[in-house]
Amino acid sequence: MDKVSCPDKPTEGNRLPGLEMLSALPKTVRFPLAMVALTALLSLLYAVSYFAGSPLRLQVTSAVQDIAVHPGASLLAAAVQDGTVRLWDTDDWTMRTLAGPGNPVLRVEFTPDGRTLVGVCTDGTIFLWDVPTGRIIQTLPEGEPVRDASLSADGTLLAVLGESGVIRLWDVELGAVFREVPAGESPRRAVALNAEGTLLAVGEGKRILIREVEGSRPPRVLQGYWRNAAAQEGWEGHTGEVIALAFSPDGRLLASGGSDTLLIFWDLEDGMVAGTTEAHWAPVVRVTFNQDGTSFLSGSQDAKALNGRPASQNVINYEGHLGTVTGVAFGREPTVLYTAGDDGTVRSWETVNRSQTHMVWTRVGLAPLWGEIFAWWMLGSGLLGLFFLWAMCRMRGWGHLLAMSLYLLGILLLLVPILTAFLLPLVGVRSYTLPWELGLRVTWPLIVATVWYGGLIALLTRESVALCYEAPQGLPLAEQLMAVRRTHRVRFGIFVAAVWLTILLVLYSVLKGFNLNVPFMGHFFEFIMTGAGITLWLSAASISLAVVLALIGALGRLSNNPVLNGIAGFYVSLIRGTPLLVQLYIWYLGLPRLNITLPAELAGVLALGVNYGAYMTEIFRAGIQAIGKGQHEAAQALGMTAAQTFRRIVLPQAFRIVIPPIGNEFIAMMKDSALVSVFSVWELTYRAQKIGRQYFRSIETFLIAAAFYWVLTVVFQFLQGKLEEYMARSERR
Amino acid sequence: MAEPIIKVRGLHKYFGPLHVIRGVDLEVMPGEVVVIIGPSGGGKSTFLRCLNLLEQPSAGTIEIEEIRIDADRPPSAYRHYIRPLRMRVGMVFQHFNLFPHMTALENIIEAPITVKKMPREEAIAKAEQLLEWVGLSAKRDEYPSRLSGGQQQRVAIARALAMEPKIMLFDEPTSALDPELIAEVIEVMERLANEGMTMVVVTHEIHFARDVADRVIFMDSGQWAEMGPPEEIFTRPKEERTRQFLSHILRGGQAARR
Repeated sequence: MDKVSCPDKPTEGNRLPGLEMLSALPKTVRFPLAMVALTALLSLLYAVSYFAGSPLRLQVTSAVQDIAVHPGASLLAAAVQDGTVRLWDTDDWTMRTLAGPGNPVLRVEFTPDGRTLVGVCTDGTIFLWDVPTGRIIQTLPEGEPVRDASLSADGTLLAVLGESGVIRLWDVELGAVFREVPAGESPRRAVALNAEGTLLAVGEGKRILIREVEGSRPPRVLQGYWRNAAAQEGWEGHTGEVIALAFSPDGRLLASGGSDTLLIFWDLEDGMVAGTTEAHWAPVVRVTFNQDGTSFLSGSQDAKALNGRPASQNVINYEGHLGTVTGVAFGREPTVLYTAGDDGTVRSWETVNRSQTHMVWTRVGLAPLWGEIFAWWMLGSGLLGLFFLWAMCRMRGWGHLLAMSLYLLGILLLLVPILTAFLLPLVGVRSYTLPWELGLRVTWPLIVATVWYGGLIALLTRESVALCYEAPQGLPLAEQLMAVRRTHRVRFGIFVAAVWLTILLVLYSVLKGFNLNVPFMGHFFEFIMTGAGITLWLSAASISLAVVLALIGALGRLSNNPVLNGIAGFYVSLIRGTPLLVQLYIWYLGLPRLNITLPAELAGVLALGVNYGAYMTEIFRAGIQAIGKGQHEAAQALGMTAAQTFRRIVLPQAFRIVIPPIGNEFIAMMKDSALVSVFSVWELTYRAQKIGRQYFRSIETFLIAAAFYWVLTVVFQFLQGKLEEYMARSERR
Repeated sequence: MAEPIIKVRGLHKYFGPLHVIRGVDLEVMPGEVVVIIGPSGGGKSTFLRCLNLLEQPSAGTIEIEEIRIDADRPPSAYRHYIRPLRMRVGMVFQHFNLFPHMTALENIIEAPITVKKMPREEAIAKAEQLLEWVGLSAKRDEYPSRLSGGQQQRVAIARALAMEPKIMLFDEPTSALDPELIAEVIEVMERLANEGMTMVVVTHEIHFARDVADRVIFMDSGQWAEMGPPEEIFTRPKEERTRQFLSHILRGGQAARR
């Protein structure tokens, strides 16, 4: 009788089942469904057009591969992924586009006279532009795809590293290859010429080869060494592929950046490491020196540029790029730096205030990364949208909820670039704030999409629509109400999760501002984690002790016996009246004076247990007192003794009352167990502290510890909830 | 002639300066049902609670079967008689006072197991009988919070009966109940009376008093104002106070019924 015919019942014949279904749906649902369908189709359309390369897609900047500063005039050239070279006048930032071959340009360099601009494309073609007119004056024949190229300071010699590992040395004026260096054993990623054009540095795997350009002597190899060879300690050198190389102008230093995130300065006279910079946390892709060799500038996949004296530990971060910093150059004035990234921007910085002074786009639009993510998102949202549409047409509650979560996630995803453009500077991330109108020009499609998704969610969560899904037809009223309550809770949970994610997102951006060494964190993660076991063990032992003490203490406090009452009162007063840290020191330092030597862990357990026992005494006392007089009377009227009454009637009920506060205390204790680190117990905090101090990376190690305390707390909160649920089973109605 | 099972002589109770019970005497025969009525604050509940020593009487003697409590002597003198006395006297409270952390069955078997050291299986068997007797077999494993007031009170009666008392004290057992739930508790109490249980009941349920009681006592200001068979008290009360009280009660009862 409570079975109403379902709308998704297969209809007889082969008429369109979808339309049949639609007409059976409630009116309120049809419009949102149409909107979901429209969204899914638009998303798919966009994704297809993006991957088909149609002009309909969103404006995306083209990644910059390299930049070069004109030796005489205030000109800045950039090699752009879209196959053009851009020239900016750095005084007013007007842009000229030098038409290119269409293939992505990998490297650009000005000749010393400033009349010619040399560009190397990824397909191997070399172009020479006339700078004043912007015309191509020479095209050198196509070889193989190129990995790296370097022009000597006098502008006559160009070394081009091909994909096969062969290095071709071009005489630029003659336009001919005068020498080919055959490929080596390992893949080569980087090449550099020194200022005079006499030496060639090649990054081959983890090694660096130094060859003479003219001569035929075997190459010198820089491949790192143990500082203490006998003990195999203190490796100096790269542990990953060398991907960036640069000679200092005087030719005494060679800078090399590796995929191991290290930037190493080699002394070319003795082949030793003059200094290592570990401030990047992602592969270092570009490095250059200023004209007198007193300063270097490096770019990395961590979206940072570093500037400092070669081989010194003092470096300055320049942050703001949204992707890999692919191009770095010193300006003609000593205080100006230029960087370019694959986010499609070129930025100028000044070294006095260490701040960004200007930013230009190869084309105003989204960073390429975001363009890509957006397109993939659209694809996923389109496909999933169709699936959800199907589920929602069949009036499935989960389809409705999943669709809602998906669109909420979409908003979050879009929020990241929008926040980056407008708001993140407000929360302390060192990024360049866009002027409002420029920000709008970059992000308007995302804002429109966000508003669209927001509207869709508002539509889907409208009472009339949500009720259709959350109170399935054809069920008895009571079950409908139950279902409503349940799905309401799920819906609420989805929104809460979205808020959490947003906050985490912002938190993540703030953490990025801490300039963290992520690989370092990864390396010591396990070591610090091992301390968590001890932390847990300590807390569990201490809380057990505390519960026992608290129970005894509470009985004492409630006792009519003046001696017991006095002892308990004194205990609570003394322990609650002194700081835990001070108590810990007294336990640790005082016991040995009584000739009692305890293991540090045991002393910690004692100190924590005694301390928390005092606090929990009051909790237990309140719990016991909360049991009504009627319960005592009922038990006594049944002939139970005072002890039986307490054990069988009062205590179980009191326990239920004190479980939530005890859970709280346990969580608090888990974190206070960090104080035991003063005893040199190898728990979480102590390990974090040790490693952090040893490597001057305390913030990283403490973040790991904090994260783990948090995870532990969340887990225990969950368990506590379960326990409370169990204890409250008699309260359920 | 049989011996009275309860003998109270010259019972006084003070709460500080407050003289709550002013020297009452009572003898109850086995199987007799005594109903105490009277205005609130008249000492009815206190008297009942003195009977199983939930309150310590200030003076007088209480004799239940062979146990004699002499309140004129210091409490330490009769301390050891308290629990034997309570095991003979079951009590049902106004607010049921079931143990909320135990199911109906656990509530009933608790005292036999902990106090009488009865084997668990035996206690359960007996509890199930009692539950059936009060008509709650189906609620065996429910917690009190899921029971209605009337059901809770019936469980409470079963809990008291599980100790096999000779005497049952009822302290306003229906006062905390919704009107439509009173009947089920009254019905159980009537059956208990019919089975020959000695009962002392403090209640405002005039109907119960009239139909079931062997003797009705009107208590006021800590004294027996009037005592006699129910028909006498309810139809021809001698005292003016009794008459007033009864007219109040009856009018209120009619108002409630209307």
